[in-house]
Amino acid sequence: MAEDFNTESMLDMYLFENTQLLEQLQETVLEQKDADCFDEDSINEIFRTMHTIKGSSGIMMFDNITAVSHKLEDVFFYLRESHPDNVPHVELVEHVLEVEDFISSEMEKIRNGDPADGDASDIIADLDRFLNMIKNGGAADSGNPPPENVHEEPKHFYIAPVATSASRFYKIFITFFPETEMANVHAYKTVYALKEIAEDILYSPEDILTDEKSGDIIIKEGFRILLQAQCSEQEVRDLIGVGYDIEKVEVYECDADQFLLGFDFGDQAPAAPQIDLESSVETIEARQEEAQKEKAEEKKPETPKIVPGDFVIQSKEPGKQKKLAKDKPKGEKASFISVNVSKMDQLMDLIGELVISESVVLQNSDLKVPGLNLDNFNKAAAQLASISTDLQNVIMSMRMVPLTNTFQKMNRIVFDVSRKLGKDIEFVMVGDTTEVDKNIIEHISDPLMHLVRNAVDHGIETNEERAQSGKHEKGKVTLSAKTEAGKVWISVEDNGTGLDREKILAKARKQGILDDNKPDAAYTDKEVYQFITLPGFSTNETVTEYSGRGVGMDVVVQNIQAIGGALEIESTPGQGSVMSLKIPLTLAIIDGIVMEVGTSSFVMETGVIKQFIRVKEDMMVHEPNGDEFVMIRGECFPVLRLGKWYGLEEYQESVEDGVMLILEVEDKKVCLLVDKLVGEQEIVVKPIPSYIKKVKGLSGCTQLGDGSIALILDAPGLVE
Amino acid sequence: MDETNRLLGLQDEVGESKDNGDTQKGKYMIFKSGNEYFGLEIQYVQQIIQYQTVTKIPETEDYIRGLINLRGRIIPVVDVRLRFCQGPCEYNDKTCILVINVKSTTVGLIVEQIAEVAEIKEDNILPPPTIGRADRAHHKYVYGIGKVGNTVKLLLDPEKLLYDDEPVDPEQSKLNEE
Repeated sequence: MAEDFNTESMLDMYLFENTQLLEQLQETVLEQKDADCFDEDSINEIFRTMHTIKGSSGIMMFDNITAVSHKLEDVFFYLRESHPDNVPHVELVEHVLEVEDFISSEMEKIRNGDPADGDASDIIADLDRFLNMIKNGGAADSGNPPPENVHEEPKHFYIAPVATSASRFYKIFITFFPETEMANVHAYKTVYALKEIAEDILYSPEDILTDEKSGDIIIKEGFRILLQAQCSEQEVRDLIGVGYDIEKVEVYECDADQFLLGFDFGDQAPAAPQIDLESSVETIEARQEEAQKEKAEEKKPETPKIVPGDFVIQSKEPGKQKKLAKDKPKGEKASFISVNVSKMDQLMDLIGELVISESVVLQNSDLKVPGLNLDNFNKAAAQLASISTDLQNVIMSMRMVPLTNTFQKMNRIVFDVSRKLGKDIEFVMVGDTTEVDKNIIEHISDPLMHLVRNAVDHGIETNEERAQSGKHEKGKVTLSAKTEAGKVWISVEDNGTGLDREKILAKARKQGILDDNKPDAAYTDKEVYQFITLPGFSTNETVTEYSGRGVGMDVVVQNIQAIGGALEIESTPGQGSVMSLKIPLTLAIIDGIVMEVGTSSFVMETGVIKQFIRVKEDMMVHEPNGDEFVMIRGECFPVLRLGKWYGLEEYQESVEDGVMLILEVEDKKVCLLVDKLVGEQEIVVKPIPSYIKKVKGLSGCTQLGDGSIALILDAPGLVE
Repeated sequence: MDETNRLLGLQDEVGESKDNGDTQKGKYMIFKSGNEYFGLEIQYVQQIIQYQTVTKIPETEDYIRGLINLRGRIIPVVDVRLRFCQGPCEYNDKTCILVINVKSTTVGLIVEQIAEVAEIKEDNILPPPTIGRADRAHHKYVYGIGKVGNTVKLLLDPEKLLYDDEPVDPEQSKLNEE
């Protein structure tokens, strides 16, 4: 059947929706991982999520995902309905996460166009065992799979097993559309779906699989099911209501006695099936709404009032809407649409263009004619300028994404690693809504993961060690983010042992990193801690699954440097350490000083400029070979005349007419002579077209407010 | 202003032929550089703009004049005169930048004057003559000579124009032809 549809866009939608659902699921689960049990809302939410995933995966025919989500749905169904005590909460959390992982990995396969062939049987078996265990009141697992509830071949006059108090009895009447082909198969599908929840089920006509003619009978007379199950009417409806071929579903609850009477619908549902065929769509809808309202009024949806000719299920939407409405007050989840990045870039370019043409209009030479009255023009111009500035800010903010998802992932890592290592660790997130450019987020995820793992693995001591050293509080990892001075600071803080200065020094000595003539004491703490970021440097004696191989910190630093960030390490012995990442807000925009040399404009990143200074001719030192130096407050800096270096035209020859910029890159300092400074501004970095060969000392170009182009100087290149 | 209108007209012509792929074939953008007329297949031409100020880039070849800002995109521009060693000339209001796209590289060509869009049939295109100093391959930017009425246009290979390092004097190939 699926071949009939254009599955491409459905698949995209499926992946997109389920990814979001899973993210939300993980968030919910991790939020409550430290509680004693899930609260009512979360149980419902997880149940619903699994139900939705099951449904959509079923439609898309990803059987393993369907199976797993179904199983987990069962577990949560049980939790929801029976409120069992003694549920091992952490184990449950692990199960949920395991399922989530499985589905995520399968979806990843699907996304890459591979078949979703993961084997779900282990997980399902685990869940079965778990479900069985909690059903037995948390008693030790006997290892037996749960007894199969389904009676494969129900007899017509089957005597139902003694009904447990939770069991309910339903008579179900399904009408298929007259044009449905092979209605018997569809009917079997329904039966199959119901079998999952059924304690007892029988249906008529009976021989639906073997007798093709039964299809005609079903269409003509409808399909009847007797069901004994521990679930609400709504769930029965949900199970049945998946197919598009079903015109109408009626579910009547009855008592055990009626149930035993079998298919004698006789007095209970006289001529019910045909009624709705004649009703207009509006009436049906109205009836639905009514039923909805009734349901909403009921405190317990499991015991809805049964109205003859109850509502017609056309899709699952009505039920869903109710659930959504319930969700809303809880989370302030914004609605999102996903937009192709290339469109965003296009928009950004267009806005850049708009700004330029704006300045062309506003600074048009025609306006310079003396004696013009421009009051109104200037007012309008000011408004235009403010709108275009807003527009620029909005497009920039569109590229910004909160760190929440990244932080959530870390939460998960802390949970996993601490469980495996048997450490009792609390995870705190601060400022996770801080927004960062999307490109940056992609780059910091891995380094951050490393830092968090390190913190959990060898930052925080084992429980015993903590007890010994008299630390009574729980191990704690704090992940925090804040923006400050145009940079994002993300820090991973733990309250563990802290870094061992002596150990690091000893190791550094052994590896020959230290200067032999320099005593240990001459190294500052900061310098010492930086050693751990060198390749192959690990003080952890034992290699664990998570860290200690000595690859890691250097990779972290490399990755961070690649996006123009830095890693700072602070540590207090016995109290823990803080690893802070200092990262630019965005890759595309830097703070720069705009300056002019001759007729050309240049931009230098603000961060590397230590000082601006005007120098006098007598401060210059000229070497015979042409090299120049300048003495500033007793320090001697090499001088680089930008105009001369690049062979520009019309630049200031005399140092007294120009401005010196002292640049510092990795402890190397150089003085750059330019003609004049124009100002500081945020600039959008663009690459120099690849057609032009790489020029030393230039890292890119940008467009200034008036549309002209300035070249961005690359300080490390110049210092060399 | 006349010049601007004429350019807009040409621009439209480029756009039109882009719209229906077939008519692009055999059409050439003819421009003047020095005393010669050159032709460039219209499929490479993206846009014609009037000359605008170019930002120089240090340490590049002379014929690479620098960068311009083309509607938010920053593209390099090459002076065709300098590329052909015709010596520099003043830029005036007839100077145009022909934005071409070759193998997804966008480059602007500064040309003295845009002439017209001409249709040259394949029969009227002759291979460049190889008489004389063929070893120096002076005509390497020119892959053919197109006849339009009584005049000849030198048809350029844009790839070689952009990427071949040694600047050449097209006067030579003209001489060779004669």
